[in-house]
Amino acid sequence: MRCLFCGADFLKPLTFQTVFVLDDTPSFCDTCRGRLAAIAPDACCRCCGRDLSLLESTAVKHHICQDCIWWKHSGRNGLYGTNNALFSYNPLIKEMITRFKFRGDTALAAGFACDLRCAFHRIVKKGSTWRQRLFMTDSSQFVIIPIPVSAHRLRERGFNQAEVLAELIGPPIVQGLVREKHEMKQSKKNRRQRLASRESPFQLNKECIHLLENKKILLIDDIYTTGVTMRLAAHTLIPAHPLSVDSLTLIHG
Amino acid sequence: MPMLLLSRKSVPTPNDFTEVQHALHGREFRAEELPFPEKRLKEYVNAGYVSVRHGIIPLNENIFDLLTGKKKWLCVRCGNREQESFAVCSCARCGSKCVYCRHCLTMGIVRACTKLVTWCGPVPELRLPEDVLIGRPLCHWKGSLSSDQQKAAEALLQALEARESFLIWAVAGAGKTEIIYSALEQQLKKGHRVVLATPRTDVVRELLPRIRAAFPDIPVSGLYAGSKETIPDAPLVISTAHQLIRSANRFDCVFIDEVDAFPYHFDAMLDYAVRKAAKPNAPFIFLTATPPDILKNAYLSGKLRGVMLARRYHGYPLPVPRFQWIGNGAHAACKGWLPYPLSLWLRERITQKRQAFIFVPSIALVHELTELLQRSGYTRIAGVHADDPHRHEKLADFREGRLAALVTTTILERGVTVPGVEVAVFGADDRVFDDRALVQISGRVGRSGDCPRGDVVFFHNGKTLAMIRARRQIEQMNRAGGFK
Ligand SMILES: [Zn+2]
Ligand SMILES: [Zn+2]
Ligand SMILES: [Zn+2]
Ligand SMILES: [Zn+2]
Repeated sequence: MRCLFCGADFLKPLTFQTVFVLDDTPSFCDTCRGRLAAIAPDACCRCCGRDLSLLESTAVKHHICQDCIWWKHSGRNGLYGTNNALFSYNPLIKEMITRFKFRGDTALAAGFACDLRCAFHRIVKKGSTWRQRLFMTDSSQFVIIPIPVSAHRLRERGFNQAEVLAELIGPPIVQGLVREKHEMKQSKKNRRQRLASRESPFQLNKECIHLLENKKILLIDDIYTTGVTMRLAAHTLIPAHPLSVDSLTLIHG
Repeated sequence: MPMLLLSRKSVPTPNDFTEVQHALHGREFRAEELPFPEKRLKEYVNAGYVSVRHGIIPLNENIFDLLTGKKKWLCVRCGNREQESFAVCSCARCGSKCVYCRHCLTMGIVRACTKLVTWCGPVPELRLPEDVLIGRPLCHWKGSLSSDQQKAAEALLQALEARESFLIWAVAGAGKTEIIYSALEQQLKKGHRVVLATPRTDVVRELLPRIRAAFPDIPVSGLYAGSKETIPDAPLVISTAHQLIRSANRFDCVFIDEVDAFPYHFDAMLDYAVRKAAKPNAPFIFLTATPPDILKNAYLSGKLRGVMLARRYHGYPLPVPRFQWIGNGAHAACKGWLPYPLSLWLRERITQKRQAFIFVPSIALVHELTELLQRSGYTRIAGVHADDPHRHEKLADFREGRLAALVTTTILERGVTVPGVEVAVFGADDRVFDDRALVQISGRVGRSGDCPRGDVVFFHNGKTLAMIRARRQIEQMNRAGGFK
């Protein structure tokens, strides 16, 4: 099997799955995997999903990082609950995201399919009551919304990276949000400018409102940086009356 | 009525024509990265001056493919036809599932719906510096050629006069680069566009200052990953083969240095890139110490003109490698044991005040062995490999004699010339070291006239065919050079 990223040949470890089901889903080799900084689900900030072991203990209170405490006090959380992230930002993931998002190598995302699905199941389980868990883990009340990009960016890039990631998790994906304005690139703004923006770049997709009522919404994006985007998206979703809004990102950085 | 029709169809003004011509000639653009709106090209396409083609085309080679209905693809820009290097994406540009090439992504993505644009009209005049026009000599290189080099240079000039391809098969240290100076001068004087292509960035970076110094009046452009082409349409371009993927139909004459530069053997895709960059019927000049079989056979059977330089410019024979059994050295090093023969060899080098390269098969082993040697008391030792950010500093330290030995992967096998250096290959039986790599490695020793001899030792755990072939090749070259 060939590594999706470095192209090296490697052997997939033999598991029940690989032996009995012909498993040819592409993935990364052990060397590349080893260079990624995976975030352990029990060692992350309960609000933004960042790896707390990378912070000094003084910056953390009750499993919540300082940034998230700031958000709590800001009163801008609204409907927004928590973020879940898979990897911390590091040189390798940076290289991968450049190739995926800016060079257009969408096939690379498939290497994260397993991680994304596992995380989704974890989120579903966490959010369900013991009764639901007993009878069946019920994911039908979840709706996945990829964070949209503007039409201009979509034409330029040819795809929406969040949508590619969402498709790896699978249905029910709803294009609940649209992004009409073409604003300055987030990466060109500094942290202060980003935190200050309160005007949502998103609009509610009118055709999908009925699909969102009383649902648990999971926003999908490639990266969680300041958390502004997620909160603005959650704010935009209020008129659709969802039960809750959480998010899942590939990277926290 | 006819008047109306005429006036509706705008005719390109001369200014517009030269602008488009200069922007497009010799290069291949993706339609979306054109320096002007695609619409502006319409008249040129109609006139047959500009060609537009699809980036990825289906490649159904045989009946079997057609029967199974399995689609195969070819990337027209980079020549990739390895089906594993294609992937499918849902494309917002064309609104359907689009195949794209994963091989040449760094140059901007090519999808099935991407259009590639090239100039195929009249070739623009090359803007040459005055010296060329006056007819003053262009080459300011002050050295002199050995009689072997002189003969080779003359044969090359004749072949180029007849626009025929040529092979310069020269042992490491024969002075290949100097041989082509007169040919470069001849081509540049004719107003030809010339490229010197090589598979490796290192070689471009090494050649660029040398060529610029030899041809101070000629704009020389250097292309490698991360470089910017600062001189548009330079008459002389030194480039990695990979960077030529963006060129098309540009060069009148192509020199390929180190055709076989391990580990990037001149593969089919680089070959495609170089051929696309050349004009049809442009002659190719191959420079190599270890020609691949295709070239070797063509030369030996007389289909390809060429010359063989079996003697180094200083007239001494190539050092012949000796073999020494060392057991499973890699295993020992990982366990923290320094194999005695290596330690002994290194100590001898240090007492004789000779610097040494120790080649190892893997990056992991570079780290292991360097650490082990340092722990064993050899302090002036460093390890270096392709991804090492401090690689250039360590090399500079070595060149200036601050380091006694350098443990390295195969990146150093060519290009780095240090007088008086001796070489050990640790784990020569590893399959990373094929015969050509071993010949190249042995070629590091005895390059300078002051210090034409030196030790080359292959430490092994069982002789391989590659080792034996490498030694045989070196001995053959020495015989051909008139040595016993
Ligand atoms: Zn890998
Ligand atoms: Zn947090
Ligand atoms: Zn390609
Ligand atoms: Zn397309």
